[in-house]
Amino acid sequence: MGTLPIDFSPPLNILLLGALTTPIASSLGPRLRGWAGKGCATLSLALSGASLYPLYQRTRTEPLAVGPAGGGGSPACACLFIDTAGILVASVAILLGLAAAVYSTRYREREGGDAEYYSLLLLMVAGMVGVGFSGDLLTLFVFWELMSVASYVLVAFESEAAEPVEAGLKYTIMSAAGNIALLVGMALLYGLTGTLNMAHIAQVFQAGAASAADDIWQAVALTLVLIGFGTKAAIVPFHTWLPDAHPAAPSPISAMLSGGLIKAGAYGLIRICTSIFLPLSGAWQPVLLLLALLTMSTGNILALVQQDLKRLLAFSSIAQIGYIVFGLATGTVDGLTGSLFHVLNHALAKGLLFLCAGAFLYATGTRKIRDLSGMARQNPGLGGIFTLGMLAIAGLPGLNVFMSEIWIIRGGIQAAQILPTALLVANVLLSVMYYLRTIQVIMMEQPTPVVLDARAVPAAMLAPMAVLATLCVVIGLYPDPFVRFASQAAAMVWSGPAQVATWTSGGLLR
Amino acid sequence: MTALPYYLLGTFALFTIGFYCLITRRNIIRLVIGLDILTSAAHLVFIVFSSSARPGFTQPLAHALVVISMGLDGCLVAVALALVLLAYRRYGTRDVRQLRKLRG
Repeated sequence: MGTLPIDFSPPLNILLLGALTTPIASSLGPRLRGWAGKGCATLSLALSGASLYPLYQRTRTEPLAVGPAGGGGSPACACLFIDTAGILVASVAILLGLAAAVYSTRYREREGGDAEYYSLLLLMVAGMVGVGFSGDLLTLFVFWELMSVASYVLVAFESEAAEPVEAGLKYTIMSAAGNIALLVGMALLYGLTGTLNMAHIAQVFQAGAASAADDIWQAVALTLVLIGFGTKAAIVPFHTWLPDAHPAAPSPISAMLSGGLIKAGAYGLIRICTSIFLPLSGAWQPVLLLLALLTMSTGNILALVQQDLKRLLAFSSIAQIGYIVFGLATGTVDGLTGSLFHVLNHALAKGLLFLCAGAFLYATGTRKIRDLSGMARQNPGLGGIFTLGMLAIAGLPGLNVFMSEIWIIRGGIQAAQILPTALLVANVLLSVMYYLRTIQVIMMEQPTPVVLDARAVPAAMLAPMAVLATLCVVIGLYPDPFVRFASQAAAMVWSGPAQVATWTSGGLLR
Repeated sequence: MTALPYYLLGTFALFTIGFYCLITRRNIIRLVIGLDILTSAAHLVFIVFSSSARPGFTQPLAHALVVISMGLDGCLVAVALALVLLAYRRYGTRDVRQLRKLRG
């Protein structure tokens, strides 16, 4: 790889190259019946996923720092920092991206704009992978903006209707304001330490504040960074864009947003809180705990009254982000293991459910839960997969989400936060109510006329859903290797000073 | 070094203007302008810190970030204005309060 002028680790290189070649392949369209662009996008996602595995093997024992030749450890250099947590986020993003790309080949066959759509999809995945792999704030911000801008366009992609445009505009303005808060927070961190490299900032902060004024500025920077990541992760005071943007986006993009994009926000929060702001953990733990409880309660209570399937799933995503932040806020390795494991599990289950909602929309043209009643009688395969996804996210033992919730609860008990943990359990039980209600409507009731007229769902849409559903069951029944993966990731993230040591002196790729 | 507080006061003034614009204006195009003012203020913070870290020396790292971020800001404004244009075609208004087909 040493000969490439620009090298961001193999998975990212392939994704960025794919984003450039997909529009060219799409322009060959008419002769190849439009399959060239789709094939190119799917192939680059698959290759990128395959190239993740050797990288995982290399970073199993210690994180890998990749910088430009001759200056990797310098505080003034941009660098990549790849550890198991980054690999976890990257694999979630690439897996969902692949599912969304395959699904989109049939889901959006009627509409044009393939060249833009697949290219933006690849750029969004590349942004998420880059956020997972970045070792300094400059790299983080560039990939963060890449991911954000691509998602603004994708949310409003079906611009013939009014709803996506309005939701996209709302999302763009709120999210851009959040990104500016993040940028100012980074500027303050830079002013306090004179570097953008996360390891070096963490070292300066661990050495202790020089004066009382520095303490205040650190707190201000923490607040701004929290707002920035919190807006993207839809933590409660900043969540209002999500219930509009997720339903309005095309369904594969909803799956990506819910499974990947908001997780990138949560991952950013985890990464920053456990490295740079580790000395301030006394400040952020109570705040995040409160925000987590607020987020899950708001999400669950508002989900109870939703009539629109995708909107219900969107509110449920807000609640799940609350669980993830809760795991971080407990400040224990077990809680963080639960958080990272939940990132994976929720991405699988919620991705599956949004793809199912998209299949319902494709078959019947409606998203209203009431109009979809009896869908499982009309199409038992699709109804079965949907029910499986719903049961998984409701936390049924034997399916994947249950396992990660147990780890988060363990973290809460270890941290002696008994009352907040009880509230978390109450929230999980409350959420079962609306999941079961939806299952009951879809499975048990008599089909409506719209459902009786439903058209068949093509195999290219069913296949990614079947894969995600299988993974939900496999992780639920055989969680050991996945738990080990997540706990390894959590241990690496949480190791703090040790992490800083390997980072700065760590082996470079070149 | 003594000039640092004055520059920071300047950026603070820009922040106030941008934030005021963002929360009081109803015209969507002005909201985009407000975002742009806020971004410029953030860039200015970087530039101020880059030249004040060590006397007589300007660190190029922040400049690199600001140049890249200006490009990203350009993308953001282009996307936002395209959405404003689409919204204007669908709703026939630039007033953000009139865009309420969705419940918050």
